[in-house]
Amino acid sequence: MTAQQVRTHSIDVSSILRGQKGAGEPNETCIKVENLNLFYGEKQALHGVNMEMPKKKVTAYIGPSGCGKSTLLRCINRMNDLVDNVTIEGSILLDNENIYDKAVNVAALRRRVGMVFQKPNPFPKSIFENVTYGLRIQGINDKRVLEETVENALRGAALWDEVKDRLNDNALGLSGGQQQRLVIARAIAIEPEVLLLDEPASALDPISTLKIEELINELKEKYTIVIVTHNMQQAARVSDFTAFMYMGELIEIGTTSELFTNPRKKQTEDYITGRYG
Amino acid sequence: MIRLWFKSGTPWVWLNAAAVSTCLIMVIGVLGLIIVRGVGHFWPTNVVQFSYQEPDGEIRTIIGEHVDTSITPAAMAKSTGYIMADDEDTLVQYLIKTGNRDITGTDFRWILERNVRQQQSPAELMVVERREWGNFYGRLVAIKENGKIIAEGAEAWPAVQTKIDEALAVFKKIAHLEKKEVGAINYSLEQLRLEQKKLQLEGLWDIAAEQRLAAEKTELEVDYKKYQAQLSELYQQIRRDSLVAKTESGSEIEIPLNKVVKIFQPNTMNVFDKIVHYGAKVVEFLTDEPREANTEGGIFPAIFGTVMMVLMMSVIVTPFGVIAAVYLREYAKQGFITRLIRISVNNLAGVPSIVYGVFGLGFFVYILGGNIDQLFFPEAAPAPVYGTPGLLWASITLALLTLPVVIVSTEEGLARIPRSIREGSLALGATKLETLWLTVLPMASPAMMTGLILAVARAAGEVAPLMLVGVVKLAPTLPLDGNYPFLHLDRKFMHLGFHIYDVGFQSPNVEAARPLVYATSLLLVLVIVGLNLSAILIRNHLREKYRALEG
Amino acid sequence: MDNSKIGQHISGQFNKELEDVRNKVLTMGGLVEQQIELAVTAFSTGDVEMAELVIKQDNQVDALEMAIDQECMQILALRQPAAFDLRLLITVIKVINELERVGDMAERIAEMAIQLSSADNKHDQYYELEHMAELVQEMLHGALDVFARMNVEDVTSITGLDENVDREYASIIRQLITRMMEDPRNITRMLDVLWIARSLERIGDHACNICEHLIYMVKGEDVRHLTQEELERKMKG
Repeated sequence: MTAQQVRTHSIDVSSILRGQKGAGEPNETCIKVENLNLFYGEKQALHGVNMEMPKKKVTAYIGPSGCGKSTLLRCINRMNDLVDNVTIEGSILLDNENIYDKAVNVAALRRRVGMVFQKPNPFPKSIFENVTYGLRIQGINDKRVLEETVENALRGAALWDEVKDRLNDNALGLSGGQQQRLVIARAIAIEPEVLLLDEPASALDPISTLKIEELINELKEKYTIVIVTHNMQQAARVSDFTAFMYMGELIEIGTTSELFTNPRKKQTEDYITGRYG
Repeated sequence: MIRLWFKSGTPWVWLNAAAVSTCLIMVIGVLGLIIVRGVGHFWPTNVVQFSYQEPDGEIRTIIGEHVDTSITPAAMAKSTGYIMADDEDTLVQYLIKTGNRDITGTDFRWILERNVRQQQSPAELMVVERREWGNFYGRLVAIKENGKIIAEGAEAWPAVQTKIDEALAVFKKIAHLEKKEVGAINYSLEQLRLEQKKLQLEGLWDIAAEQRLAAEKTELEVDYKKYQAQLSELYQQIRRDSLVAKTESGSEIEIPLNKVVKIFQPNTMNVFDKIVHYGAKVVEFLTDEPREANTEGGIFPAIFGTVMMVLMMSVIVTPFGVIAAVYLREYAKQGFITRLIRISVNNLAGVPSIVYGVFGLGFFVYILGGNIDQLFFPEAAPAPVYGTPGLLWASITLALLTLPVVIVSTEEGLARIPRSIREGSLALGATKLETLWLTVLPMASPAMMTGLILAVARAAGEVAPLMLVGVVKLAPTLPLDGNYPFLHLDRKFMHLGFHIYDVGFQSPNVEAARPLVYATSLLLVLVIVGLNLSAILIRNHLREKYRALEG
Repeated sequence: MDNSKIGQHISGQFNKELEDVRNKVLTMGGLVEQQIELAVTAFSTGDVEMAELVIKQDNQVDALEMAIDQECMQILALRQPAAFDLRLLITVIKVINELERVGDMAERIAEMAIQLSSADNKHDQYYELEHMAELVQEMLHGALDVFARMNVEDVTSITGLDENVDREYASIIRQLITRMMEDPRNITRMLDVLWIARSLERIGDHACNICEHLIYMVKGEDVRHLTQEELERKMKG
């Protein structure tokens, strides 16, 4: 074998190395939070948060209870509007549009930004009706369209094979993990751009949790995902970027691999390694 | 030891158990009393013939049903004026239903046991249930047709059976004609009269209208005459026959068959016959109209009125209560004012019901009803249409009375729906209204049903306010019939609760009515249980369907 | 950064486990240092008994390595450590590997010492070798010291010694070649000596590697495969 032959047949390591850090190509920003302050009455819950969340990536928020991560998440689809006494300053740009602009239709925004909650909250209706809920609200009643959407959404949520024979059964008869996936199917049935997951697996058993995590991994092909979690290992497993929040402030945001092996801030380090803060 | 026993909590458990059993015993006691007294009323008892020595020494025959026995201690009997022998410990008296009010003036009499010389139940004694004057007790003598005796002695009994069946069939025909056909014509004539007056009031009364109405009127009158002819023929037919009977004192009396409801000889009946007789009486009680100042016959109009009123009340109170609760819980800004409203609503539930009756009469009947009459029914003046107590006002008054219950339980139901469900719906792009309509309200429906159940339970048993706003002792027509517009909200109606009061305390013949009071009470309980049971079934079905996420 | 960091976890058990691993590594380091010390002494004094002791001690080093490995694996599996804890454990796994290799080197020196002692007794000829041994011992000791204190401020002064070691090594080789040319009968012996020099040089390299691992552990920066100058620049900046 000549050197020439060796060169042509040699194993190309460079491509392997390039993919390693996860941040090969530059990321397009999907959501941009700018100087966000949020008050519950007198109490300030978010202090000047600035961050960017890239398109079709998973961003995880971690932090101790009451640090404002859920509050921040719920700002993205304006769920905090429902709470009395909330004042919000600053802006959140979704595709360069401020969602706190007066002209924004909140219902339409929420169609673009789906949300899944901590406890599975299927409606006490059939599986089919649950998945088509969002479409029916939009006035879509064509049976064929609905059936197609239900199948796609349930396949997307990796639930189709488990429930395809009992679509008309009450959704409350499903197990916790199945319910949560149903809720995800319900959210993706209206084809949002962003999916917000608020501790989606905290009420589930480990196997169901793994299924949800696997699902998140698949979903990021199509959606920008923001996930709040108490489980740091989960954040480490599923996310591309991780933001650490503490006492209403964003302490650190970075790629997940970086943040979990070599955090820049001591508070982050103390938190993720389980030390006294 | 004792302290340990107290600490163990056993006495506490016993106390609780005792409280529960006391409640149970009381409920069972009430129901038991009502059932025993009420159910026994329709059982045909034997007719007894007594040889009775009156206080003045004369021996008389008394025929009647033995209804009750009272035992009085000697001392007490003495103090009320009875002469007691020294060896007598007690004074025993029988209450005998002797009937024949038209002859003796009373239905009942008390007799002393010690003065009864002889007591027997001859088979030939018969009971005649009449449309007037209560029961007749005596012996059948003969049967007459057009005043001529056609059967006598032993042949009389079989003959009377066939004759009475004929008479009853004719009577039924007459009742149908009078009620349905003639009633409809009368109603139409009244409508024509009102129309004429209305046209006159509006100044549209011209020759064309006059001719049209006159034509319709003559047409109706032709019909009327036709029915009238039929009726008079039937009347003649039914008046033709009569029976002759001998009373206890031996005098003879003639009873026209059109006044007879039923003839039977209880002493010859076996158990099976009695059961058949009993069933017929119960069916009559449930489906017939009352006779003789409500003390005889059935109570169908009262059952119908009660159910009708409760249903109307439910139809009115549910939407109002639900809408109010939804506003209070979902839309109103929570604060001092909503708290004030809640307190007021809760206190409203504690206002005595008669106050609602007064309010209903003053506001609904006179102000609202009066104005409605002025605006929409000027032609009926001076007779009121809605400006008088009636079904509509009674339903609305009771709806008002039960509104707090519905509001409170609906609000609780709304509060119990987890936030996460609402958020789930909102997160899918639903507006608040869509969320409420598609998710929250269906899920709160079991709570609404609970409210309705409580409301029905309260409304069905309420009497006091109804006396002011629509219930009458005897309503000539049902609020629902075959004449357009079928449901007559302005009509007065009968009600089981009021019926009990009326029969038990307002009737001229209290002794005769007492068993009826129990029977009617039992029926009222059954109606309420039935209404509640159906509501509970619906609620359980809903609950199953919307089994909340709490579990 | 100080070593008290280990003792700050909310979970006391975790603290204990990490402390235990650290102590075991230090014990292993001490053992390996002692091995080198003994091997070199055995070589310079021709003490066969001592050399055999060194060879025997290597079993203990190997056993420690396996024990620590096992423990690290358990902690990784059960506690899912992150950040410093994760780097600490990964570094420990690598450091004990290096230490084990150092132990092997000491064993080889001991073996050579046995062979040489049977050949002749002219030990005074290997001053450079002894000097080199002192240098690498200093390096290893410094590296273990850094591990114990978790302070990498002075780490460049340790890695800087490697150049001296390399120089010594080069001069020893030259010397050995000269001797072999002088008298071909020396060749066998000189080859043995060469092995010793070679082993010492390797120990120096392992000490350097340990330092690099420690920098990663403390600072989270990968400084492997850099020249001394680059390293110094990085540590300053």
